[in-house]
Formats: sequence, structure tokens, C-alpha cells
Amino acid sequence: MGTLSLEGLSFRYPGRAEAVLDGVTLDIPAGGIFGLLGPNGAGKTTLIAVITGQVRGATGRICLGGEPFERVRRAQPRCLGLVPQEYAFYPMLSCRENLRFFGAVQGLAGDELRRRIAAVAAFARIEAVLARRAGQLSGGLKRRLNLAIGLLAEPQLLLLDEPTVGVDPQSRAFLLESIRSLAAEGRTIVYTSHYMEEVQAICDRVAIVDRGRVLVTGALSELLQDASGLLTLRLRSPLPQSLADAWRARHALLDDGEARYRLQLRAADEIAAILAAAHSAGCEPLAIAYGRRDLEQLFMQLTDRSLRD
Amino acid sequence: MMRCLLALWEKEWLVLSRDVHGLAVLFLMPAVFIVVMSLALSDAFKDDAARQTEFAVLAVDDAPLARRFAQGLSGDGFRESSAPASEAEARQGVRSGRPSLVLVLPRGLGRALAAPAGGPAPALTLLADPALPSLLLATFQQRALGAALEQRVSTLLEQAGAGLPELKRAALNVEVLGQSRAQRPSSVQQNVPAWLIFGMFFVVLPIASLFIVERRDGTLARLVAQQVPFPLLLLGKLAPFFVVNLVQAALMLLAGRILVPWFGGETLALPERWDLLAAVAASTSLAAIAWGLLVAVCARTLEQATVIGGVGNILAAAIGGIMVPRFVMPQAMQTLSDFSPMAWALDGFHAVLLREGTAATITGPCAKLLALAAALLALALLVHSRRRVLHSAQ
Repeated sequence: MGTLSLEGLSFRYPGRAEAVLDGVTLDIPAGGIFGLLGPNGAGKTTLIAVITGQVRGATGRICLGGEPFERVRRAQPRCLGLVPQEYAFYPMLSCRENLRFFGAVQGLAGDELRRRIAAVAAFARIEAVLARRAGQLSGGLKRRLNLAIGLLAEPQLLLLDEPTVGVDPQSRAFLLESIRSLAAEGRTIVYTSHYMEEVQAICDRVAIVDRGRVLVTGALSELLQDASGLLTLRLRSPLPQSLADAWRARHALLDDGEARYRLQLRAADEIAAILAAAHSAGCEPLAIAYGRRDLEQLFMQLTDRSLRD
Repeated sequence: MMRCLLALWEKEWLVLSRDVHGLAVLFLMPAVFIVVMSLALSDAFKDDAARQTEFAVLAVDDAPLARRFAQGLSGDGFRESSAPASEAEARQGVRSGRPSLVLVLPRGLGRALAAPAGGPAPALTLLADPALPSLLLATFQQRALGAALEQRVSTLLEQAGAGLPELKRAALNVEVLGQSRAQRPSSVQQNVPAWLIFGMFFVVLPIASLFIVERRDGTLARLVAQQVPFPLLLLGKLAPFFVVNLVQAALMLLAGRILVPWFGGETLALPERWDLLAAVAASTSLAAIAWGLLVAVCARTLEQATVIGGVGNILAAAIGGIMVPRFVMPQAMQTLSDFSPMAWALDGFHAVLLREGTAATITGPCAKLLALAAALLALALLVHSRRRVLHSAQ
């Protein structure tokens, strides 16, 4: 499977003045996990809806490996899998009945269907609850069933829309590990989430979108590089006033509260002196970041802090 | 494609069979209506022997004349009750509806009727219960005038030495067409098809609600992403609900056959032409399901579907002769009822159940229902094709 290319995708919901997608252009390379980030209402889910065909009338082009995506889908109907952010299954049916139904509508039957149900149930570790009504499952099991259904037809391109919302840390860890293993098999995964640490943990490349536009896209390691000389420091206790005043004058100290500080350094060799000074003042350093920012910082910097929705 | 359709049918069956409330609406509601309405309206459709309006004749000075008037007035739905002692007592009784009518013969009426030379006879007075339907009052009025005329003619003929031939029922044979069972259609015969149609059209609620829940929960998005064609999704709903409708029809006929008599009502008489009954039921079902699919596509919320589907059905039933028989409606309403699909369905069912109709007699109603089904399905597909957002994706 080649690169999924989105070229100048634009879409406006009927009756809305603003476009929800405004010339989105992205290249999603084959294999690996591509993170799609953005605040609420940024257009992530609409972008996925355009790719899957739930939304019609978008302008622009979608190609897979250079071929128009529609043509590829007609030739390979099972190439695309979707795991929506809702629990997209029938709560009154058992897990097995749900898997059988969604497999059958994709053309799976007989032994192949049975084999795929067994495989995805084992993958999502839901074998023990296959006979239970889907609506009676816990949040974590529902998410796993949701994922399992998306994998039935072994799609090469998998769109995951916030697949870990509302689950406990154990289920989240399991889901992330599972998604990572899917990418390791060579699948292309587009992953949207609000959880920055998740995206940072599993994605190879990301795009941050806001107000229907791509703000930045690239390899995660490159995007998180920071040559601005900013040192981020978290201490066990707040700085004494005298040291804070001194650093404010020398390093343009910013106090983020809760013993978290940002300092502007001229060179990396200043770090040792700063740590020593903090230690001497009785403020033991707990965490330090320099030359690399985390995804949340980048996200907030690009999308600004104003509330959405 | 066929495999996908079979999967859709199986899923719809499973979902429907586990929706207790939906099943209650589809099967219990029409059965209850059939029993209740058949029993409530049983008198309205019964023969005269069972449904009588009581009257009395009060003659101030001529008891034999009162006797002869009473004989002339009895029958055809009117039954004589004991005569009040006075006009005051008669007025008191009529005010409370017992009896509903009192004919007061004035003093000297006997002599006036027997007088050989014609002349003005003293006027008769008819005391009537205000709750009595005007049609019954008018009928009794005519009977009273007829009885007076009969007295006059028979007295004159007796004086001339001749007799009055026996007329009344013997001289007028009434034949209700299409009723080889030699009985008039009963309440259950009228009510079973009416409430069966009403119940069949209520498939609109489970069809629309299941569809909207699918849209809301993202299953529709998933199916669209899996490239399941939309017409196939509609077809996936059509067949299971068609079977539901036919099962409904069979069960409601059984209710008329077993349940209504069990509660003391009459037994539904079944037709000989089951094929015609099935054709009318199938046409009704297709129209009802297509209406449900259109509501499903158009409504965005469960509340909208309930209001559009539920209120639409009740309106169609009200103007279509389901709740109120069409023959009691004024002409303008009867014309309006010609536009209700439930009226078309009722015409079809009545043709089979009441009039022993033939294929030719049900062709009209069935053709209208099938044309409506095709139009509604086409409209549902058109609305869908013009919709840009198949699933709320914001």
C-alpha cells in the first residue's frame, strides 16, 4: 500500500459560514502510526468522515499510492477499516453476533469468517465475553470490541478515531500496545486523540490541525526538537524569592506554578550551574527538559490557549 | 451482495426480537384495540333484536287505540315499554331516558280517525329523549305518522267491509349484498381490519428508531465505511418488517377469531379467498414500511421520528376511517379520507372480509398502496442522495 495523500481537502457543513476543512493537504506514509491532533471542532473527525465517504461534497483529492482513493476502494473494498469514537456496534447483540454481522457485510463467510472472528477476538482479548451482550460490557471491553470489529477484514489502512476514550489505564495500555503491534505488521494507522502522551508514545508522524487547517506536520522526533534554548524545570518546592528574582533578571524566568519554571539559556553549559543553585536553595530538581519540548507544549503553542466549542 | 443482505436481515431480526417495547407496540397494541373496540362497538353493528330503543304510547281516553299504535310502532329497533300513567309521568321518564320516546295520543283521536268524512285530526305529541340520535327520532316520527295513517285506512276499510293486507317486513325483503352468510357484518368484522391496518403502520416507529440509533451510535458510519450500499441498507430493513407485518396480520385475525369471542364478543368470519387477503396485507405492509423508511431517513432524532411517525399515523387513521367509520363522516371528510393510505387499505380488507370481493375489487386499493410504497421509497433514496452528511461527524 502506498502513501495516502490528501490534497487541498475542503468541506463546509450545510448552513455553516465557516469551512470545517480548509485546504487540508497531508501525506500519510504507508506503514506506521500517523497522529492527527487538534482541539475540539478542529476538523479531525470530519477529515476521517471525508476519507471514509460518510461526508459527501468535499473538494480536493484523496489518493492512495497515486491512485484515486475511490478507485482503490472499489478494487479492494476491504482495504479500509474504521474504528469510530462511538461504540459503533449493536448493544442488544452479543459480541459474537456483532462480529459475525460486521464480517458478513464485508463479504466474509464460512470458515474464513469463523477464523477472522477467532483472530480478532484473541487480538482484542475478548474471547471470554463473546457470548455476552455488547451493551453489558465494561467501557474497556467495549473499546476492545470496537477495535476488533474494525480489524475483521484485515484492512491495510485503519482509521482510529479516539479509540481510548473513557477507558481505565490498564485498558488504555493494552489498546496502545495492540495498535503498536498492528503498525508493526505493516499497516497504516491514522490515529486521532486528545491524549498528547498517547500520541507522543505511539505515533511516528503527526499533524496538528485547527480550524480546518494543517498547522504543522512531520516526524514526531523533528517536531519535538527545540533549539530555542528554553529549559523547563520542575522542582520539589518553589524557589526562594531571592533566587527567583536573580533568575528572572538573568534567564527571563517564567513561573508556571506548582514549582514549575521556564528559563531562557544562552548555552547548554548553563544547566549545571542552574541545577546546583536550585539544589543549594533546597529545591531539589524532579524533572528537567532542554532541547526537546513535549507534544503538549507544541500543541498549545500552535493552537493557543483559548477554549473551543 | 446477497450475503450482505442476508446478514442485514439476520441482524434486523435479532435486534427486533430483543426490543420488547417495540414488539409490544407492534403486537399488543393492535390486539388490545381489536378486543376493546370490537366489544365497545358490538351493539352498534348488531341486529335489531339485540339493540332496541324503548318507546311507550300514552292514550288519555282510548286504551285499545294505544294498543294498536304500539303494535304498529314496535319492531325494526323500537321496543314497547310499559305506558306511563300520565303525561307528567311520561315527561319525567323521558327526561331520564326511560323510555326514550313517548307518543301521546290526544283526546278524541280515535273518533277523528274513524270519522267517514275527512277533517283535521287532533295533533299527536312525541316526547323525545334529548340524547336520542336525530336519525332515530326522525325514523320514529315517520313510523308514528305511518301508524296513524294505517289506523285511519284500516278503520275506513273495516267500515267498508274490506281488510288491510299485511305489509311491513313480509312485503320488503332486505338483502345485504355479498353476505352469503345471511348475516350483517359484525363489530369484530369491521374492527379487525381497521386496527390491524393501524398496527401495521406502526412499524414506522421501530424502523425509524432503529435507523436513528444506528446513525447516532456510529454503526451506520461503519457500514458506510465498509461500502454497504444505502439501497441495500433499506432493503435490509424491508424484508424483516414485511414478515413482522404478515405475522401481525395473522395474529390479529386470530385475535378476532379467538380473543374477542373469549371476552364475549362475536367471532370473526374468515374469507374463503386467503390469497386476496394476503395480497391486501402485503400491499399495506409495503406502504407502511416505505413510510417508516422515509421517516427514518428524514428524522434526525428519535423525538422527531416519534412525532412525525406517530402523529402521521394517528392523523391517517382519523381521516382514513380507522377510528371513526367513514360512513358517519360528512361528505367533505369522506372526500378527504380518500387521500389516506389507511382508507385504501381498509377498502381492500373490507372488499375481502365483508364483501367477498374478487381480484378485480382489490386491484384498486392494492395498486394505490403499491404506488405509494414505490413513491415513498424513491423519496427516501432521493433525500439520502441529496444529504451531504450521512453521519454526524463534528
